[in-house]
Amino acid sequence: MAINRWRLPVIGVVVALTVAACGGGGSKTSSSSNPDDGTQLTMWVRSATDQFSQRLVDAYNSSHKNHVALTIIPNDNYLTKVGAAAGSKSLPDILASDVVYSPNYTKQGLFQDISADVKALPFYPSIAQSHLKVASYDGKIYAVPHKLDSSVLFYNKDLFKQAGLDPEKAPANFTEMLADARKITALGHGITGFDLAGSCGGCGVYTLFPYAWAAGEQVLSDDGKKVMINTPAFKSIFTMYKQMSDEKLVDSSDKAQDGSTWPANFEAGKVGILPLGSPIVGDLLKQTKFKWGVAPLMAPDGSGTSTFIGGDVAGISATSKHRAQAWDFLKWTLEDNAQVEIIAKNGDLPGRTDLSGNKYTAADPRTKLIADGLKNGHTPFALPFGDLFNNPNGPWVATIRAALYGPGVDQALADGQSKIQAGLDAAN
Amino acid sequence: MTTEAARRLTRSTLFHLVSMALAIAFLFPLLWALLNSFKSKSEANQQPPTWFPHSLSIANYRSLAGFDQGIGTYLTNSVLLAVLTVIGSVVVCVLGGYGFARFAFRGRTLLFAATLGILMVPYATILLPLYIVLGHLGLQNSLIGLALVLVMFQLPFGIYLMRNSFESVPRELEEAALVDGASSFGAMRHVSLRIVLPGVVTVALFSFLTSWNEYLAPLIFLNDGSKYTLPVMLVNIRYASYNIIDFGALQAGVVVAMMPCLLVYLLLQRFYVSGLVTGALRG
Amino acid sequence: MSLTTTRAGAEAPATGATARRSRGSAARRPFTGLLFVTPTAVIVAGLFLVPLAILVSMSFMDWPLLGTPQFDGLDNYRHLAHDNQFIGAITFTLLYTAITTVVLFAVAFVLVAVSNSPRRGARFYRTAFFLPYVVGTAAASTMWWVDSSDRLGIFNQALQAVHLTDKPVGFLDTPGKALFSVITLVTWKFVGFQMVVLLVGVQSIPGELYEAARVDGASTMQRLRYITLPGIKPTLALLTVLSVTGSLLAFDQFYVLTHGGPDNSTMTVVLALYNKAFQSYRLGDAAAEAVVLLVALILLNFVQLRLLRTKED
Repeated sequence: MAINRWRLPVIGVVVALTVAACGGGGSKTSSSSNPDDGTQLTMWVRSATDQFSQRLVDAYNSSHKNHVALTIIPNDNYLTKVGAAAGSKSLPDILASDVVYSPNYTKQGLFQDISADVKALPFYPSIAQSHLKVASYDGKIYAVPHKLDSSVLFYNKDLFKQAGLDPEKAPANFTEMLADARKITALGHGITGFDLAGSCGGCGVYTLFPYAWAAGEQVLSDDGKKVMINTPAFKSIFTMYKQMSDEKLVDSSDKAQDGSTWPANFEAGKVGILPLGSPIVGDLLKQTKFKWGVAPLMAPDGSGTSTFIGGDVAGISATSKHRAQAWDFLKWTLEDNAQVEIIAKNGDLPGRTDLSGNKYTAADPRTKLIADGLKNGHTPFALPFGDLFNNPNGPWVATIRAALYGPGVDQALADGQSKIQAGLDAAN
Repeated sequence: MTTEAARRLTRSTLFHLVSMALAIAFLFPLLWALLNSFKSKSEANQQPPTWFPHSLSIANYRSLAGFDQGIGTYLTNSVLLAVLTVIGSVVVCVLGGYGFARFAFRGRTLLFAATLGILMVPYATILLPLYIVLGHLGLQNSLIGLALVLVMFQLPFGIYLMRNSFESVPRELEEAALVDGASSFGAMRHVSLRIVLPGVVTVALFSFLTSWNEYLAPLIFLNDGSKYTLPVMLVNIRYASYNIIDFGALQAGVVVAMMPCLLVYLLLQRFYVSGLVTGALRG
Repeated sequence: MSLTTTRAGAEAPATGATARRSRGSAARRPFTGLLFVTPTAVIVAGLFLVPLAILVSMSFMDWPLLGTPQFDGLDNYRHLAHDNQFIGAITFTLLYTAITTVVLFAVAFVLVAVSNSPRRGARFYRTAFFLPYVVGTAAASTMWWVDSSDRLGIFNQALQAVHLTDKPVGFLDTPGKALFSVITLVTWKFVGFQMVVLLVGVQSIPGELYEAARVDGASTMQRLRYITLPGIKPTLALLTVLSVTGSLLAFDQFYVLTHGGPDNSTMTVVLALYNKAFQSYRLGDAAAEAVVLLVALILLNFVQLRLLRTKED
């Protein structure tokens, strides 16, 4: 913000805000011939994508006149930071967001409409549709995929072998999952068959929704106005998880696990089966302690598979004065070179379906399995999604905890259904 | 040995046993962070944890050097912010405390009450309005603006302490200087300021601790990663890429963040107590 | 945390500030006085009163992140009356304040007994008890977060080593344990300050009083009852005000350690309104809650000061 004047207190501030707000969001697409004109751009990402985003930004900066300055903000305070910045018109040019939170931002008008630019891309049809859908509102596109990830089941092949199980045969339904977990837990020495996060809404969304999707259920309606969790699939899911917990097939720390150290036990080689997602693949590939495999998340009876396509989207903030230059960066991140040589090369998933067969992703059967699974995946949409599902004080976390540690599955699902629906009704 | 001496010895032993147990309980988390920070990478992330490092390593500190902007940047910013905040707090609080202690003027009680009122506003909620104001002053995303905010939060404590300290200095001391033609400011500077020095050190110490340790304000008021301070770095390590946390680096970060506070406090300890005596607790 | 308490550190107007209003200070020119307080006035006005005014005006508006705020009268205040989470948070915050105040005093008295001893080593103990206070919240809470972890934490190791437990405790598992953990952290971090202040109060009692009592054959308990306690009454009053205000505004310790969990059992008022502002982006509602809290605190402090003043007379 270059032009700042000290105005009369209070009323002045309020009036100024109002005026600025009315004028905001109206910046036109710059028609300058070459948007790579040495502009200084700013970009914010949450710390969950720190190295991923840094690699992209570094590569862009070294090959362009424009310069993107990246600021990494702790996950936990990202909403706070964006909220405060928006309130005083100091958003960065490029704003990334956890994909499930983006509807909240689009609704609040934090992003510029980039529909025309996105649709003009030659590879537009193959950009991850699940992300584009969630980043759209009223038929307009506000953001593009920044980082794509996908939830799957990881299993420790060494532990499978030790427990007398076939290390090449991952569990394919809930009955097998329980049986395998029991055998592995029986190994003792602090080893557990399974791992769950009992206090983490985001983790629950990421790994539980796919079981239901795989069973043909919808969880959230397309318009994000109806929730459906008091269903047969969710009953099976929570019954199985409660069994895992009651039979102590999971570590005692799982009850308070808020997601912040979720993969640690698996990475230490102490967990048989871990439902999580592609972001930890890079780390697992680097370690040599144990052999591991990947399997898709399945319907309770194994009749289908699915995945939660998560990650982050990035858009141009409503207050940015460098729209063309910011778009130049976003466009570049979606092009073949960045998608393959930077993103895929580091073990991450490309954000375009036409590139899922690239040489890096295809080189390891495990990453290929994850990439191929994307076609069955979903990203749920709801305006207050984060507030209802990710919020540690929200109704979804309460549902998980009531089902696992409280009055039981049936009552938890009935209560959760009505509370989450009430939250959706209030926001729509 | 007489029974009296024996009893004294028992009581003394008992005293030291209890006190030592308490002291260890208080120092234990600090010591363990220090020990952890010198473990090797794999040992620092081992579960269950080890008590003492099996081998000493500075790998954890080395990984701090390469974290995001590098620890050098964060340290520099933290030091800059601390210097600005300490100077600002001391100047404003000494002048203000003297003004409140020695002069009558319209609105004195009101201003003093407003200053103390800063204590009663929930910090987290005033952030957004403050941010808006800083924007209009052109002080967003600047260490100076941030330092001003931190100075503001120091005012209730600092003004109160300095006012009481100056009040405890006999007026007659200054009057001699005034008669000799010194200005009010000169009288304060040359006569009273020396006497209230412990109070000044206490204000400086507290504003140093606040600015060095504050997390939410730098995060909110600064927009460039290259301007962030140590506490922001620490939280970023904790929420690193998809929860793959480097616990060794985290503990090393804790040590770097707390060491200056411990050292500064230990150096200034004696001023601090007497500063409180004259400043905050008379009567 | 550190900020709240340092800010709280000034909250001592009860103990005689008014009683000792400076004698004849009007003797000097008021204009000079104004010059001295100008920096204070500018900062208080610009960075406190103006933001406060904005906060109050927000509380009467529907305030979007971007776009035009709309005046909505008392709507935000009406929402508040029906907000169960907010009402629950008030109850919990009061409970937390009561427990913390008692625990802090109890522990502080023990520490004063140790560090006020004439024996050798007392100074060392005093420093040890105070050091956690100077470690910042970010560092301290990160430390505790690691230390109390079931998997990597040393607290569980220590408890198992002395056979107090044979499996990880799960320090944040249940509402009771979570509250206990937070209070332990708060005590560890802040009791040192309380101790130093009390110590100063105790040491300011003239030694002759104790001598006289000893000559009269008073027991330790009697000396405590009739000399020490009356002597440190103003200090106790100051610390009570500090501790109550600080605890009612509790935020960081819960934000970092429990996030208000498990099951929203440790949701404080400030945490609730922080979530409302920055998780749900309901800025108007959050501002209304902040205003209510502010008014409550002003009233409470006013009442506390009145009560303490009459007692002194």
